[in-house]
Amino acid sequence: MIPLSWYVLLSAALFTIGVVGVLTRRNVFIILMSIELMLNAANINLVAFSHYLQNLTGQIFVIFVITVAAAEAAVALALIILLARNRGTVYVDEFNIMKG
Amino acid sequence: MLELIPNQLGFPLLSLMIFVPLAGAVILLAVRDARAARWIALLFSIAEIGLSVPLLANFDGSIAHMQFGESLPWIKDWHINYRIGVDGISVLFVGLTALLTTISIMVSWTAIQDRVREFMIAVLFLEAGMIGVFVALDLFLFYIFWEAMLIPMYLLIGVWGGPNRLYAAIKFFLYTLVGSVLMLVAILAVYFSAGGTFDVLALMNHPFGHTFQMWAFAAFFAAFAVKVPMFPFHTWLPDAHVEAPTAGSIILAGILIKMGAYGFLRFSLPFFPSAAISWTPAIMTLSVVAIIYGAYMAFAQTDFKKLIAYSSVSHMGFVTLGIFALNSQGVEGGLLQMINHGVSTGALFLAVGVIYERTHTRMIADYGGIAAKVPVYAAYLLIITLSSIGLPGTNGFVGEFTILLGAFQYKAVYAVIASLGIILGAGYMLWLYQRVAFGTVTNPHNEHLQDMNLREIAAALPLLVLVFGVGLYPNAAFQVMHASTENLIKHVQAKAALAPVAAQAANALLGQ
Amino acid sequence: MLTSVQEILKQLVPIYPEFVLIAFALSVLVVDMFLNGRYTHLLGWYSLIGIVIAASMTIILGGVQGAFFSGTVLLDPFSQFFKLVFYLACGLGILIAMKYLDIEDIHRGEYYALMLFATAGMMLMASAGDLITIYLGLELMALSIYVLAGFMRKDSRSNEAGIKYLLLGAFSSGIMLYGMSLLYGLAGTTNLDGILAFLRTADLKNPVLFLSMVMLMVSFGFKVAAVPFHMWVPDVYEGAPTSVTAFMSAGPKVAGFAVLLRVFTHTLDPLHADISLLLSGLAVLTMAVGNVMALSQTNIKRMLAYSSIAHAGYALVGVAAGGQEGAASVMLYVLIYAVMNMGAFGVVIMLRKAGMRGEEISDFAGLGKTNKTAAFLMLIFLFSLTGIPPMAGFVGKFYIFKSAVQAGMIWLAIVGVLFSAISAYFYLRVIMLMYMYDPKEEFGLVQSPALALALAISVTAVIVIGVYPTPVLEFARASVAGLL
Repeated sequence: MIPLSWYVLLSAALFTIGVVGVLTRRNVFIILMSIELMLNAANINLVAFSHYLQNLTGQIFVIFVITVAAAEAAVALALIILLARNRGTVYVDEFNIMKG
Repeated sequence: MLELIPNQLGFPLLSLMIFVPLAGAVILLAVRDARAARWIALLFSIAEIGLSVPLLANFDGSIAHMQFGESLPWIKDWHINYRIGVDGISVLFVGLTALLTTISIMVSWTAIQDRVREFMIAVLFLEAGMIGVFVALDLFLFYIFWEAMLIPMYLLIGVWGGPNRLYAAIKFFLYTLVGSVLMLVAILAVYFSAGGTFDVLALMNHPFGHTFQMWAFAAFFAAFAVKVPMFPFHTWLPDAHVEAPTAGSIILAGILIKMGAYGFLRFSLPFFPSAAISWTPAIMTLSVVAIIYGAYMAFAQTDFKKLIAYSSVSHMGFVTLGIFALNSQGVEGGLLQMINHGVSTGALFLAVGVIYERTHTRMIADYGGIAAKVPVYAAYLLIITLSSIGLPGTNGFVGEFTILLGAFQYKAVYAVIASLGIILGAGYMLWLYQRVAFGTVTNPHNEHLQDMNLREIAAALPLLVLVFGVGLYPNAAFQVMHASTENLIKHVQAKAALAPVAAQAANALLGQ
Repeated sequence: MLTSVQEILKQLVPIYPEFVLIAFALSVLVVDMFLNGRYTHLLGWYSLIGIVIAASMTIILGGVQGAFFSGTVLLDPFSQFFKLVFYLACGLGILIAMKYLDIEDIHRGEYYALMLFATAGMMLMASAGDLITIYLGLELMALSIYVLAGFMRKDSRSNEAGIKYLLLGAFSSGIMLYGMSLLYGLAGTTNLDGILAFLRTADLKNPVLFLSMVMLMVSFGFKVAAVPFHMWVPDVYEGAPTSVTAFMSAGPKVAGFAVLLRVFTHTLDPLHADISLLLSGLAVLTMAVGNVMALSQTNIKRMLAYSSIAHAGYALVGVAAGGQEGAASVMLYVLIYAVMNMGAFGVVIMLRKAGMRGEEISDFAGLGKTNKTAAFLMLIFLFSLTGIPPMAGFVGKFYIFKSAVQAGMIWLAIVGVLFSAISAYFYLRVIMLMYMYDPKEEFGLVQSPALALALAISVTAVIVIGVYPTPVLEFARASVAGLL
C-alpha cells in the first residue's frame, strides 16, 4: 500500500515542473505540455485524495478535467496553426507585435 | 439648533431654481441655430433672476433657520434625501449666481462664435450646479453638485479658452478633483461616525471627538482650500483665469471660488469647531500670506487678466482671514466681502472681456491712453477699480473694514499686516488703471477703438448698482446674514466647548 | 418513455436559461451552415431573441431558490443578479458587433454561437455551488472567448491575442485546479457549503489551506485582471476584435467577480482576515498599475485595457471590505462598469472603417466637431468612468469606498480616491482631443441601428443609475442576502 504522501509529493513535483516549464520555455508546444503537466498534477492529487477519503467526487472531477483539457488542446492547436501560418514561428518571444 | 422650515410658497422655489437652467440646457440640445441658442439661454437665465426675486423678497432675515426647505427621500438605503434650503449665509449667493450667469451670457453674445449652443448648455448646466451647491442640505447632494460643476467649467475653459487652454483646463480639473475626493472620504467617515446620516443640520449638532475633527477638518480643508484658493494651493487660478473665456472668468471669480469659503462656513466650522479653533493660527497665517503674496504678484503682472487673478488670491485671503477670526464682525465681513468680490471682480473681468473683444490682446502695455477714445469704458473701469481698492462709498470698503475689525479682535498683528495688503491693493490697481487709461495712445491699433455698446452697458449696470448699493447701504446685506452668522458663531463656541468633554467620554468608553 | 422525458425536463427547470442559450447557440451553428454565410445579421437578432427568452426565464425563476443537482447548481438572488448582468453584457456585445464584423469581413454565425456559449459558461459560474461547476463554467466561458479573441483568422494581432489569452488562461486554470485539489483533500468535498462547514471547525492555521486559498486567489486574479496577474490584458485587449474586447472587458471580468465573491466571502469566510489583507494589497497594486500605465498609452483599446485593470482594483476594494455591504457594492459596481465600458467601446467601434483602424487615441481629434452625438456620448461614458457625478460611475465608486470606510479601511479608501483622481487625466485626454482639437481630416462614422440601440441603452442606464440609483441599489442589496 503506497502512502498518500507519496502521491502528494509526486503531484507537487509535477506541478512545479509544469510551472517552471511555462515560465521558462519559449516553444509554444512545450508550454502547452507544461500546462498539461500542471493539470495532471492536480488530477493525481484528486484521484489520490479520492481513494484516501473513499469519496468518488475527486474521480468525477478528474474525468471533467481530462475532457476540458482535450478541448483546450484542440483550441490551442488551432490557434497555433494559424499563427504558424501567418507568422511562421512557434516561439512565444516572437509574438511581439503589440507592446507598451 | 437650526431647523428646516418648509417652503411656504405655493411652488417649490429652490427646486425650480435648480431645474429651470437644466431644462434650458435640455431644450438647447434640440436647437440648431446659434442665434436662437443665445436667446433661449438668455431667457432661461433671466427667468432664474425672476425666481430669485420672490426668494429675496420672502426671505426672513430675523431668524437663523433654513428657509424654503424641501425634503424628499432619494436613496433610502443610504439615508440620502433630496434636502434643500437657504439661510442668511447662502441666500445672497443664490441671487448673485443668477445675476452673474445672465451677465456672462450677455458678454458672450458676440465673443463666442464657435459652437454657441454647446457653450450655452455648459453655462446653464454650470448655473444649476452652482445653485445646487448653495442650497444643498445633504452632504451627498452637495457633493454631487460640487463635482458635477467641474464638467461644464472644464469644458468652458478647455473648448472656448485662450491658446494655453488645455493645460489650464486639466490643471483646474485635477487640482479641484484631488481636493474633492479627499473630502469624499471624510464625508463617508463623518457619515459613519454620526451613525449614518448625511443630513447637514443633524451633523451640525453631532459631537465628534477632537481627534476625529482634526482629520476630518483637514480633509474638508483640502477641498475648500483648493477652491478658495488659499495660498499654497492657488497655482491653478491664474492659469484658469487667463485662459478662460470672459464668461468663464466671471463665473469662476464671481461664484466658483466663493464656494470654498462657503464650504468653510457651512460645513467645516459647524461640524468641526474645536478642530477649527486648533487650526485657526495656521489658517490665519496662510490668509495674510495670501494677501501679501497675491498683491505682490499682482504688481509683477503684465497680463490684465493675470493681474486680476492674483488680486483675487489677495482678496480671498481677506475672506478667509475674516471667517477664521471666528467673531461676528470677521464672519460677517468675510461673507459680505465674498459678495463684493464676486461683484467687483466679475465686473473687472467683464471690463477685460469688453476690451479684449476689440483688441484681441490682454497685455497691459498694449493699451495706454484709451480713456480719450472710450470715455464710457474708462469711467466704468475707474468705478470698478475704486470698488476693488475699497474706497469708502463703494462695497469693497465695507467688507474689508469689517474684516479688519474682526481680525483686530482676534490678534492685532494680523489686522496690521492685512491693512498693508489694502495699501498694496490700491497701489497695483491704480497703477493698472494709469497704464490702461491715462497718457497718450501708444498703440496705433487703439486709435479707432469702439466704446461700450448698449448690450455691454446693460450687462455692467446691475454690477455698478450693487457696487454703490452695498457701499452706501450695507445694512441691507448685513440684515439678511446677521441672524445666521450670529447663530454660527454661538454654535461654534458652544460646540467647541463641548468637544473635549465628548472626547473624554469617548476615551472613557474605549478604556472600559 | 414520454413520462421519463417529461421527468427529465422537469428536473432541468433550474437550468432552463442556460439550456435555452445553449440550444440557441447550437441552432445558430446548424442554421449558419445552411445559410452559407448569408443573412448573418439575422443570426445576430436571432441570438438576441435567445437572450431575451433566457432573461425572462431567469426572472420567472426568481422565485425558485435552493440547491439542485446534488448541490452543484445554486439558484439564489445572487446568481440571478449576475445572470442579468451577463445578459446585458452579451446583448450589448452582440448589438455592437453586427456592423463591425461586416467591416472586418469576419461576419460568421459562429461568432454569435460562441457569445452564447460564453454567456452560458458565465451563468454556470455565477450559479456554481461546487468546485466542479466553477471549473466547468469557467472553462466553457474561457474556451469560447479564446476562439473569439482569435476570430480574425488572417490578422496576426488577433491570432497573437488568442494564443496569449489561451496560454495564460490555461496556466491560471492549472493553478486553480491544483488549489481546488488541495482544498478537496482537506475538506473531503468539493461542495462549497460542505467546505464552509469544514472550515468552521477546522484548524485555520494549516499552511496547506493557506496555500490553496492563495492559489485560488491567483487564478481568479488572472480572470479579473488584477495586478500582478494582468500582463495578458493589454495585448489581448488590443489584438482581439474590438467587439470581443468590449465583451471581454464586461462579461468574463464580471463572472470572475461573481466567483470571487462566492468563494471568498461565502465559502472561505472563516479566513476573512487573511483574505482581506491579501486582497487589499492586490487592490492597491491593481489601482496603481492600471491607472499609472494608462497615462502613457496611445492606443485607445490599450488605454481602456489598463483602465479596466484599474476598475478591477476598485472592485477588489469592495471584496476586501467584505461583508454584506462590501459584496453588494461590488455587485453594483460591476453592473455599472459593464454598462459604461460597453458604451465606451461602442463609440470606439464607430471609428473603425475600411481603410482606417480608428484605434489610436489621436483618431478622436475633433470628433466633437465632426460627429457631435458620438462625441457627446463618449464624453458621458468617460466622465462616468472617471467617477464624476451625476453619472453612474460615481455611484458605483461611492458605494465601494463607502463599504471600505464602513469596514474600517479608511486608508484603502483614501488610496482609491487618489488613484481615481489620477485616472481623470487619461480619460480627460480623450475628451480634450474630441472637443479641443481640430479634426485631422473629414471622416464619417460607422452607424447602424444595432449600434445606435446599444449606445442608447448604455447611455440611458449610465444617466438613470447616476441620478436615481435607488432601484438598482436595492436590487443589489437584496441579491446579496443569500450569499452570506
